Amino acid sequence: MARHWAIAGAILFVLAPAAPIAAHHGWGWATDEEFELSGTVKDVRNANPHGTMRLATKSGEWTVEIGQPWRNAQAGLTMELLRPGTRLLVHGHRSARRSERLMKAERIVIAGKSYNLYPDRPS
Amino acid sequence: MSVGPTLDGMFAALEQAAPIAALRESTYAFPLVNAAHIIGIALLFGSIVALDLRLLGWRRDAGPAGVFTRLLVPVAIGGLLIAIPAGLLMFATDARAYAASPLFQAKMVIVALAIANALWLRAAERRGPTLPFRAALAAAASIVLWLVAILLGRLVGYF
Repeated sequence: MARHWAIAGAILFVLAPAAPIAAHHGWGWATDEEFELSGTVKDVRNANPHGTMRLATKSGEWTVEIGQPWRNAQAGLTMELLRPGTRLLVHGHRSARRSERLMKAERIVIAGKSYNLYPDRPS
Repeated sequence: MSVGPTLDGMFAALEQAAPIAALRESTYAFPLVNAAHIIGIALLFGSIVALDLRLLGWRRDAGPAGVFTRLLVPVAIGGLLIAIPAGLLMFATDARAYAASPLFQAKMVIVALAIANALWLRAAERRGPTLPFRAALAAAASIVLWLVAILLGRLVGYF
């Protein structure tokens, strides 16, 4: 009996760190390589579970996932800064599905100033 | 699949209502409402599957079906009464997009069928002793419908 619990514990210990990575709202759906995209804001939505921004770029319209409202606020990214028509550069990771024009932002640069959504991650 | 212009206008107004906008941009309220939805589903699904299995004849020696109905149906209803308002609140924060999502529409149809199935079984039980076969049929439908509802609900977030 005790051995069963030990095995179950070991499995949980191995799998638990993988769980957040597998979630859509994590990073698992994106590639590991750094990606950059520049464009003009079409519209933006500051919302739970995460915000989204549509960008007009040279390669067409992209969807950029930004942070949840508290993360955007912490990075100093107000919706006023991201208003439609703003030109900006997004650092982050694109979707592993190459056909999708979808990326997750780590850092956004507007007029030379960096707004870092994930200060703990290299971007 | 877009809903009609009138509904779309109503949903837009709902999204813009001050408490809904506050929830959409909240730090703690939204994840807590999300958690309430999951807790409600856990109570509903956990209790209803246990009851459904008994109605299907599993562990018949544990006691008469009526005893389990008396214990588990109130827990399931309680779960549903937590899950529905929490779900409505999350729906309201992005009403137009959810309403237009075929997965969400399918989920609503399935949830309606699951509730109708439960009400139908209750009504049949009230009229008198139900044939075990009919109860088992409703129990099987219940497990499948709630399972599909949960799966569709999860898929809405990913597609």
